[in-house]
Amino acid sequence: MRLHRIGAVAERVLRQLGHDRRVLAFMLLLPAVAMILFGYSFSGDITDIRVAFIDEDRTDLTASVLENLQKDAALAVRVLAPGQDPERVLIDGGYQAVIRIPAKFTSLYYAHFAMGVATSAQGRIDLALDKSDPQIAAAAQKSLADALMDLGEGGPVDVQVKDLYGVDVRFIDSFAPAIMGMVVAMISTVLTLLSIVREKVDGTFARVWVSPVRRAEFILGYVIAFGLVALAQSLVVLTIGKLVFGIVINGSIFWAFACVILFAVGSVGLGTLLSALAQTESQAIVFFPLVMLPSVLLSGMMWPIQAIPAVLRPLSYLVPLTYSNRLLRAVMVKGLAPWQEPVGFLGILAFVVLTIVAASLVLRQRARGAD
Amino acid sequence: MTGATNSVFSARDVTKTFGVFRAVDGVSVDVPAGEIYGLVGPSGSGKTTLIRMLCGLTAPTGGEAKLLGHAMPRERRAVEDRFGYMPQERAVYRDLSVGENLLFFGQIYGMDRKRIAARTDELLTMMSLADRSKQRADRLSGGEKQRLSLACTLIHEADALLLDEPTIGLDPALRAEFWDYFHQLSDDGRTLLVSTHYLHEADRCGRVGLMQAGRFVAEGTPAQLRSLAADRVGRAVPDIEDVFLVLTGARVGGGR
Repeated sequence: MRLHRIGAVAERVLRQLGHDRRVLAFMLLLPAVAMILFGYSFSGDITDIRVAFIDEDRTDLTASVLENLQKDAALAVRVLAPGQDPERVLIDGGYQAVIRIPAKFTSLYYAHFAMGVATSAQGRIDLALDKSDPQIAAAAQKSLADALMDLGEGGPVDVQVKDLYGVDVRFIDSFAPAIMGMVVAMISTVLTLLSIVREKVDGTFARVWVSPVRRAEFILGYVIAFGLVALAQSLVVLTIGKLVFGIVINGSIFWAFACVILFAVGSVGLGTLLSALAQTESQAIVFFPLVMLPSVLLSGMMWPIQAIPAVLRPLSYLVPLTYSNRLLRAVMVKGLAPWQEPVGFLGILAFVVLTIVAASLVLRQRARGAD
Repeated sequence: MTGATNSVFSARDVTKTFGVFRAVDGVSVDVPAGEIYGLVGPSGSGKTTLIRMLCGLTAPTGGEAKLLGHAMPRERRAVEDRFGYMPQERAVYRDLSVGENLLFFGQIYGMDRKRIAARTDELLTMMSLADRSKQRADRLSGGEKQRLSLACTLIHEADALLLDEPTIGLDPALRAEFWDYFHQLSDDGRTLLVSTHYLHEADRCGRVGLMQAGRFVAEGTPAQLRSLAADRVGRAVPDIEDVFLVLTGARVGGGR
């Protein structure tokens, strides 16, 4: 294994990319366009959730709950007369959430606090939620929890809200890591595939094969070239994310880039592997949607994997981007180290090892002149 | 001549089958240093497969192929930087410039940039491509691309050269120019194995192996082949194309 030969392959691939203005533009525009388009489509903070408020208790305490709710931009609150069933109101009234504070809420609220743990009933609030849009539901639930936060001494209230990472994570913040992964996967896989198929069609592959270049050197050359490309693409996504959408990155940029590059390595391996299945460049193009669609639809990029029908969910775990999303979100949004998200981390490592080994076997097959 | 250990290229009863198809069928050949050896025959006669076996791109099904005394492909690492191979396709990176193509092929043979630059100047001058150095390969004419492809094969100054149909698709004047290069290289002490389906190019080779359907039909210097043909028909056969028609006992399909 010689550094200068690895370097030669990497330099050549980068020069080839640099020469094709369209590919170059595509490479850098794709992350920009993806970030901007998806960003605008999804970053709009949720506002004007239609909420009905039914107060059966009518105390100062419940009045301040209402006041808090009305201050929240996410909600458009309408106060309804008491005595109505929340579920009926939701279904008939076209509300997305209905909050009902039952009678005696206030006294239970203070009494429970004064008497201590589990000696009396807690103050209870009924919340009917339209679950057809989980993001809306989550936002409404969160708004209610916020409204109950600063009511002074009393409580607790048995509306349970689980907010694991206390930082204010918006959808766009967790979307940027997904876009980084998707763009890197697309470009590295498809351009590696195209480049190798082209080498085969043009006969340069035979030349390289009779030269001193080893299989490992060939693959490493591609890995370095596309690792650098992945880095540039990630920078584009993060710059636009930061400047245009003000995304918050809680984790380490260093680990984020390390993970993206690792993912690019696996994608180069996948591209090499797929090159065994394509004899011509037009056949290679066919793989583009084949890689793209499952990544976008099944990886948890647009909606949580929990929102995918149970029968399809196992497929999600065959999509490399699923692991990349978990890993990059853990690193960038939750601020964890890669190994603290073992499923994502081991998933990506397995992806890298499997595809690189398979790619190496594919190249050996090709070198033996099966064609 | 059999068993010569100082042969640059040698094949001993080499066979290559693809399924039931025998692409090369028991061929033996020895090419000593300094010779220009022509593999002549129609398309599909096994020339390319024989060359690919000699440079280690594909393994023989039977027999033994040796390059510089090393069995191919088994010992190809021992000779990997000592031979140059020009594939039949115009095998260059179409999205790289002329200079960048030569840079890459120089680099993978371990040459430093300075030496590559000097060698590039030399080759481009020799091939009349000096003003094309910055041109992208896909903007070159067919003939220019072919010359670049040859230059890529020569960049690392290998002693043994395997050229698969280097003159295919070129006009007659350019083909003659290519053969001038080959004689220049031979004068420099290099050994060339050149395949061609242009029958009259045989006259520019030291020796010729005439291939048909994977076998050698005849082998020798152009003069020897002429007298062989004359013996068969009982009169002189001056035109080398006619010589091949006589020796193959059929229409060779010259020019295709």
